[in-house]
Amino acid sequence: MKSCRERSAIERSLVTVVDDDESVRESLPDLLREFGFAAHAFSSAEEFLASDSVGETKCLILDIAMPGMTGLDLQRELKIRAHKIPIIFITAQNDEVVRARAFDQGAAEFLLKPFSDTALFTALNTALGVS
Amino acid sequence: MTTQRVMLTDGWTSYQGVNVDDAAENTATSDLIKILDTVEVPIVVVQRDFMIASFNKAAADVLGLSPSDIGRALRDISVPPGLSRLEQQCSQVIIGGVECRADFRQGDRSFVVRISPNTKDDRQVTGTVLTFTNVTAFRASIDQAIYERECTKAILNTVVDPLVVLSADHRIQSGNRAFYTMFGVSRDETQEVPLSELGHSAFEVASLQKQLDETLAGSHVFQPIEVDHVFTAKGQRTLILDARPLSFPGHSERRVLVTFQDITERKQAEAAKDLRSEEELRRSEAKIRRLVEANVVGIVMFNLEGAIISANEAFLHMVQYSREDLDSGRVRWKDLTPAEWRDCDDRAIAELNATGIFQPFEKEYFRRDGSRVPVLLGGAFFEGSGNEGVAFILDLSEEKRAEEALRRSEAFLKEGQRLARIGTFSWHVATEEITWSEELYRIFEFQHGAPVTLELISTRVHPEDIPLLNDMIDRARGGASGFEYEYRLLLPDHLVKYLHLIAHGSRGKDGQLEYIGAVQDVTQRRSSEAALAKAQSELAHVARVTSLGALTASIAHEINQPLSGIFTNCSTCLRMLTADPPNLDGARETARRTMRDGNRASAVIARLHALFSKKDTTIEMLDLNEAVREVIALSLSELQRHRVILRPELADNLPLVTGDRVQLQQVILNLLQNASDAMSTVDDRPRDLLIRTEREEGDWVRFSVKDAGVGFDPQTMDKLFEAFYTTKNDGMGIGLSVSRSIIESHQGRLWATRNEGPGATFSFSIPCRTDTKVQ
Repeated sequence: MKSCRERSAIERSLVTVVDDDESVRESLPDLLREFGFAAHAFSSAEEFLASDSVGETKCLILDIAMPGMTGLDLQRELKIRAHKIPIIFITAQNDEVVRARAFDQGAAEFLLKPFSDTALFTALNTALGVS
Repeated sequence: MTTQRVMLTDGWTSYQGVNVDDAAENTATSDLIKILDTVEVPIVVVQRDFMIASFNKAAADVLGLSPSDIGRALRDISVPPGLSRLEQQCSQVIIGGVECRADFRQGDRSFVVRISPNTKDDRQVTGTVLTFTNVTAFRASIDQAIYERECTKAILNTVVDPLVVLSADHRIQSGNRAFYTMFGVSRDETQEVPLSELGHSAFEVASLQKQLDETLAGSHVFQPIEVDHVFTAKGQRTLILDARPLSFPGHSERRVLVTFQDITERKQAEAAKDLRSEEELRRSEAKIRRLVEANVVGIVMFNLEGAIISANEAFLHMVQYSREDLDSGRVRWKDLTPAEWRDCDDRAIAELNATGIFQPFEKEYFRRDGSRVPVLLGGAFFEGSGNEGVAFILDLSEEKRAEEALRRSEAFLKEGQRLARIGTFSWHVATEEITWSEELYRIFEFQHGAPVTLELISTRVHPEDIPLLNDMIDRARGGASGFEYEYRLLLPDHLVKYLHLIAHGSRGKDGQLEYIGAVQDVTQRRSSEAALAKAQSELAHVARVTSLGALTASIAHEINQPLSGIFTNCSTCLRMLTADPPNLDGARETARRTMRDGNRASAVIARLHALFSKKDTTIEMLDLNEAVREVIALSLSELQRHRVILRPELADNLPLVTGDRVQLQQVILNLLQNASDAMSTVDDRPRDLLIRTEREEGDWVRFSVKDAGVGFDPQTMDKLFEAFYTTKNDGMGIGLSVSRSIIESHQGRLWATRNEGPGATFSFSIPCRTDTKVQ
């Protein structure tokens, strides 16, 4: 893990968090930076889609239940737009149907809130194809 | 060019035009020319071939002809325009040798042109002479006269009353439309017909003829005449005829304008009114006579000296005197009145002098045998009299006897009282004398017969209800006509009893205030009400716990959300602390955030606890918007999971309401869940959920939830609110009935309406300021 912190600023991949919950938006980017990533946070899928981050994001950490566009809606939309960003879903609700659909649509990982830092780190490595 | 003499038919001569050789003749001609030039009327001489031969100075000045026009045909003259049109008339005059006239206009001036044949000695017509007479002013005055005549005609025709103008010998000259309509005749057939022949000679009235003559002569002002006339179409009508002379300036002839006013309706109305008032008077006299003769009420005519002028049988019977006694003057009202009632009489007389009447009051009279008769007395002065009046007297013996009998029959009520747990009492306020029925002693658990005092009563009244007792005592001492209270007793064995008290005040014989009342022990009823309330509250709890189950997923989400923040922050914090060098500022910040998330989690739990723990009701002033927001916060993720689009429209400045926050939130939650469930099968439209709070008129606050769901069948509307009625497979159907009873216990109402579009709206209204009794 320590090796992550030693990557140079140029190498730092952008990980974007989309969650309507403020405490997630506050806490998760800091942890991601501790992991050595660059991090951005958005409170809605619409806001993210309208930003420049769409093209630069290497990995998306995405909440399922949000007002307006849901996480699954955003996943579909990105697919239609041919943005192949790996997605780690995070949700506070353990719903098997949603989980199954997320993986059907090509989710990289599905984490239940609350999750540990190790679980997140593993998920990120899976998503970014780092062994 | 020189002048030539030209002889005109009428001996006139013009000037200019033809070359002349004879200079001697020119001198004579020039005189004529001068004469013609002084004439202000334009004159133009035209040859057979319509060439202008000559014209005078006025023709040049007025018409604008110039010398160069000599020898030109009329059709070639451009100034003045329109001369060319006269050629045709000129040719007719030349052919026929007969003078004619034509109209000619130049600018805004009008002329009449006289076209005369111009003949030579041998009578041969050599041409024409055109004389232009200016008629502009004349035309204008004729136009004005025509205009005024039309205006007058229009005005007269709009006048509703018929009008007619007669000549000096009373012949009809002209009438307005109303005139011809009324008589059903045409203008032509009545022209010059004498007025007297009109309408089958109805108007052949000597006085009318005489007055018309005098009016025409100006020696008399016409006095209106009333004439009855039978019209073919309208039947008999009464008309008022009026007339005034007309004179025309410059005319010696005099005429008269006659007006007809139809007063039939007015007369009929007046007659009916006279008849009515006569009838009314007759009826009211008959009523009074019946009253006097019926002998139900004693009637007395009196004077202030104390005498009774006359009285009916009923009064005599009341006081047991005979008519002879009355006629002899022995019966005087002053003597009939016992001494202690004289004050009342004096007060009545004072009132009579001040207002002309005196309000009924109770008193007594002596009978002939010295016994007393209680009566009710009221009366008034005769109109315009300051000394004599009439009084109506009602015998109250029966009523008084009945009152006594009622008091005596109290004993019979005792058993009934015991059965109904009703005790009765009387309370003489001034002497503080209180009498209790047996049952009341039993209710208060005092020894029967013990002297009852207010102090003794207060030893039994529940300490919390002592203010009620004091309030009642104050009211009684203040002379209230009656009162009603509910209060509790606290008995020595700590048993609590609920009492319901009703009392009515009346004045006894001595004029002192006494309350007669009943007290019912309503403890049993109260405890069954309490049991009902308890059952209801248990039911509400069941409903609450049921929704708790439905909300589990939502609750998990609500708690996991801040927990997730806590985990992440702690991880970050640890990482920052173990870094080399440690990032202390970052660690401090993340630790602070951890605490905040912890607080959020505990707030969620507190909300849940408030909503789902079983506890007694708490009445408080609360902001309905805040209560709604809390429920939304709890159920938001659940609603989102069901793809419900939430649209809150919460009114600003909503007044506070009084009530039980948890119970109201329970209702709100129930309505939100129902709305969400109603939309669970909807896929062809957005699952819109409108949540609205608003202020209603009359200090009410309304909450409503409008969904786009399946709606409900209007025929089952009433059933919706019945317990255990449900349209859901997994529901208990208890929500709406409990919700309704909660709202009703807040003095509010809960109802459902179908939307114009898809879905239903459930609403409740509760008053903002109320002494809410929540059970």
